[in-house]
Amino acid sequence: MFKPSTLAMILAGGRVDELGVLTYFRPKSAVPFGGFARVIDFALSNLLHSGIELVAILSQYRSYSLINHIGTGEAWDMIGRYRGISILPPFKDYENPNWYRGSADAVYQNLDFVQFHEPSEILILSGDHIYQMDYREMIKFHIAKEADLTAAFIEVDQSKSHRFGIGEIEFENQRGGRLVHYEEKPEKPRSNLASLTILCFRPRVLYEILAENQKQESYEFGRDIIPSMMQRNYKIYGYLHKGYWGYTRTVDEYWQTSMDLLGKTPRINLEEWGLRTNLDHRNIRDCQPLLVGSRAIMDNSMAYNGCHIHGTVRNSILFPGVTVEKGAEVIDSVLFFNTIVENGAHLNRVVGDVNTTFGAGSQVGGPKTDGSGEGITVVGWNNHVPDRMKIGTGCTVYPQLAEERWSIDSLRDNEVLR
Amino acid sequence: MINSKDALVLVLAGGVGSRLNILVGHRAKPAVPFAGIYRIIDFSLSNVMNSGMTRVGVLTQYKPLSLMRHIGGGEAWDFTGRTRGVKILPPRTGEKESDWYKGTADAIRQNIDFIESNPSEEVIILSGDHIYKMDFDAMVEYHRYKKADVTVGMMVVPMSEIHQFGAGIVDKENRIIDWEEKPEIPRTNLASMGIYIFNTKYLLKTLHLSREEADFGMHILPRAIQNDRVFAYPFYGYWRDVGTIQAYWEANMDVIREDSGISPQEWGIRPNLSADGRPMDRAPARFFSGCTVMSSMISAGCIIEGTVENSVLSPGVYVAEGAVVKNSVIFEDSFIGKDAVVDLTICDKRVRIGQNAVIGEGGDNSRPNRNFPKHLYTGISLIGKETEVLPGMKIGRNCILLPKHLENDYGDKGEVVDGESF
Repeated sequence: MFKPSTLAMILAGGRVDELGVLTYFRPKSAVPFGGFARVIDFALSNLLHSGIELVAILSQYRSYSLINHIGTGEAWDMIGRYRGISILPPFKDYENPNWYRGSADAVYQNLDFVQFHEPSEILILSGDHIYQMDYREMIKFHIAKEADLTAAFIEVDQSKSHRFGIGEIEFENQRGGRLVHYEEKPEKPRSNLASLTILCFRPRVLYEILAENQKQESYEFGRDIIPSMMQRNYKIYGYLHKGYWGYTRTVDEYWQTSMDLLGKTPRINLEEWGLRTNLDHRNIRDCQPLLVGSRAIMDNSMAYNGCHIHGTVRNSILFPGVTVEKGAEVIDSVLFFNTIVENGAHLNRVVGDVNTTFGAGSQVGGPKTDGSGEGITVVGWNNHVPDRMKIGTGCTVYPQLAEERWSIDSLRDNEVLR
Repeated sequence: MINSKDALVLVLAGGVGSRLNILVGHRAKPAVPFAGIYRIIDFSLSNVMNSGMTRVGVLTQYKPLSLMRHIGGGEAWDFTGRTRGVKILPPRTGEKESDWYKGTADAIRQNIDFIESNPSEEVIILSGDHIYKMDFDAMVEYHRYKKADVTVGMMVVPMSEIHQFGAGIVDKENRIIDWEEKPEIPRTNLASMGIYIFNTKYLLKTLHLSREEADFGMHILPRAIQNDRVFAYPFYGYWRDVGTIQAYWEANMDVIREDSGISPQEWGIRPNLSADGRPMDRAPARFFSGCTVMSSMISAGCIIEGTVENSVLSPGVYVAEGAVVKNSVIFEDSFIGKDAVVDLTICDKRVRIGQNAVIGEGGDNSRPNRNFPKHLYTGISLIGKETEVLPGMKIGRNCILLPKHLENDYGDKGEVVDGESF
C-alpha cells in the first residue's frame, strides 16, 4: 500500500511589523505576490512538485485570509485518499491555555496530529519565502546521511548575514556536510550561509527536543531548537541550496523581490517554476482576459486577467481587476486586486493594497531619494486617496482610513497617515 | 409553490456548424474558443446558472469529446449538488425510437425519458452556440403571465438578415399569429433566437403527434401557432449567432470595443479554465520593454515582445520581438515568430508562425476562398490547429491552412496565394 511518508508542516502564523500595513489584516504568508498569487503558494507549489502530499499549515495571526486561500487544497492537488492539507489553528485544552508561543511551540502543541500520521520524516518550512526547490533532493541527502536534522542554507550577501540564521558547514561534497556552527542573527557572522528555514527532522528526535524545549522560555526553531540540538551533539547536516531566494520582510524587500519578476529573463520565472495558486480565492478564475485600450502603453510589466489598462504602465505588476484610466501613469509599482488609478493620477514606486482608489490627478510616491532604503510608499487596503492629493516617497498609509482622515493637503516624504 | 427555477433546461449542442470550417474540424461549434478564455457554450450555461435553473441536459451529437471534457461535472457553473446537475445526452441505440438526432425537435423527442424523469412545469430549450446574456427566470415569468403553451425568444434584426432566421408575425399582445422559416421575402424583422419555453405537458403531447416532425422552426412551431397559445418574448441587447467565420470574427472584435455592449465578465459569464488541465496555472501576462499593445484582449500566460493591435489572444500566446499581430484571433499556446506579420487571421491552438512569415498583409481581399467561397470572402485567413507556418512563408487572404501541417509537408512551397487552401 502506498502512503506518503514525509509530513510537511508550514509555519504560516506570523506577521511582521516591518511589513506594516500589508499584514494588518492577513498573515505574511497570505500577502499577495506575483500578480495573482500569495507568498505561501511558493512553498505549496514546491511541495506539489516534490510529490509531498501530506501537509499541515500552522496558522494563528488573522488566519481567515489564509484558510480561505487554501480552500480544500485541490489547487495543489492535495485532496484524495492519502493526500490533504490540514490547517492547524491554536486551541485550548485542559492542560494548555496558550496561543502558539513560537514556531516550535506551534509544532509541539500539534504533536498528536504529527504522531498519528507516523511520518518517516518531518519537513518544517516557512511559508514566507519566494523560491523554487525540489525537497526530494534534500530528503534523499538527509536519509543518506542518517541525519537527525538537515537544514537548508543558501549563500547571501555577507553584508546582510546578520539578519538571518547563519550556519557553518564542513562540506563533504557540493551538496553539504556536517553543520558545525549555527547562530541566529549574529552580530558578527562567521559565514554567509543563511538558513532558509527548511528543516528536515528525524521524527523521534523532533519529539524529544520539542518536549525538552517546553522547559524553556522561548520556542523558536532558529533561535532555540537548532542551537540546543547543536549543544547536545545531535547529528545535524547543512544542505546547500542554489538558486533564487526572495524574502519579503519589509516593504522595501517586498518591492525589490517583486521587481525580480520583471524583465526578459526574470529571476523569478513563474511559468518555469510551475507556480500554482487557488483561482477560487477572490474568484479570479472568472476574470475576463485583460483589456488594453487604444491609447495604453505597457512597458516591462505584468498584468493578470480582469485588468483594464487605458493609461501608461511601466515596470509594474498589476493583480486581477486593476483599472488604469486614461492619462494615468503607474511606474515601478505593485498594485493588488481591484485597485483603481483614476484619470491623471501618477504613481511612482508604490505598493497599493486591495480595493484602493487613487483619485484623479493624485501624485503618490516618487523617484528614489538619497535617504536610506528604497523609499517605497505603501497604501493599505480600502482607501480612497482624494483627487489631486500629493503623497511623498517612503510614506505609509494605514488601511481603511475614514474620509475625514484625508482632510490634509499632502503627505511629506516618510510621513505616516493613520 | 411552483418555482420558476424548477424549469428543466435542455441545451442543443449537437450541430455541426460547418460554416465555421476548420474551427469545427475536431470540435463541436459550442466548444469553439471565444474571447480568449471562453468557449461559446459558456454563455448559455452561465445564463442558465445566473437565472437560477439547476437541472440541465446538454444534447450532443457531432464531435462531442471536446465539449464533454469542457463541461466536466458542471462545477464551473455550479451545477453540482444534491438536486443540481448537468447531464450529457448523446444519441443512443438499442432503444425503441432511437437513432441519430435528425433535427432539434427530434433530438428532444429522443430524450423524452429524461424530461419525464425530471418533473417540471416548463422545459426551456436553448441553443448552445450563441453569444448573449439573458435572464430566463424573467422569461418563465412572462410565459406564465401570458398563459402560453410556447414562448419564443425573439429580437429585431435588420430586414436584410431575416432570411437566416425563423420569423414571427405578432399581434398587439405579442402573440405570434404567423410564422415563416427562413423567408426569402421578409414580412417582418422579428427573428427567433432559438430559445423556447414549453409547458412540459404541452411539449410531451406535441412531440408524440408525429415522429416525422424533426424541427421546431419548420414543423412544431407553425402547427402550435395555428392551434395553440404561442407568444414572442422580446429580447433587447447584444445577441449574436456566431455560426459563420465572419460573424465569429466580428463578435470577437466586439469584445475589444468599448461601446459594443458585450462584456463577458460583467455579464457573469464563467469559463472553465481547468478543463484542459494546463491553463489554470497561467502566470500573469508579461509585456516586455519595447512592446506595443493597443485595443486588444490579452489572456494570462501571454508573453508580448512585439506588437499586438486590435486582436484577441487566448492564454499562452507568444508574440516575439518585431512580430506584428493585428485584427486577429489567436488561440491558446500559439507562437508568433520574430518579425512575422499576422493580419486578419484566426489561428487555432498551438499554431507556430515562423520568423519573417507573412499572413494576410499585402494580400487581396476580393478573392474569396476557392473551395469555400461562402465561408471566407472578406479577407480572413484560417490556420488550423498545430499547423506550422515556415519561416519566410507568405500566406495570402481568404486562405485556409489545414490542421497539423508540419515542416516536411510543404516541400518547396513558399507561398499560399489569396483564396487558396493548403
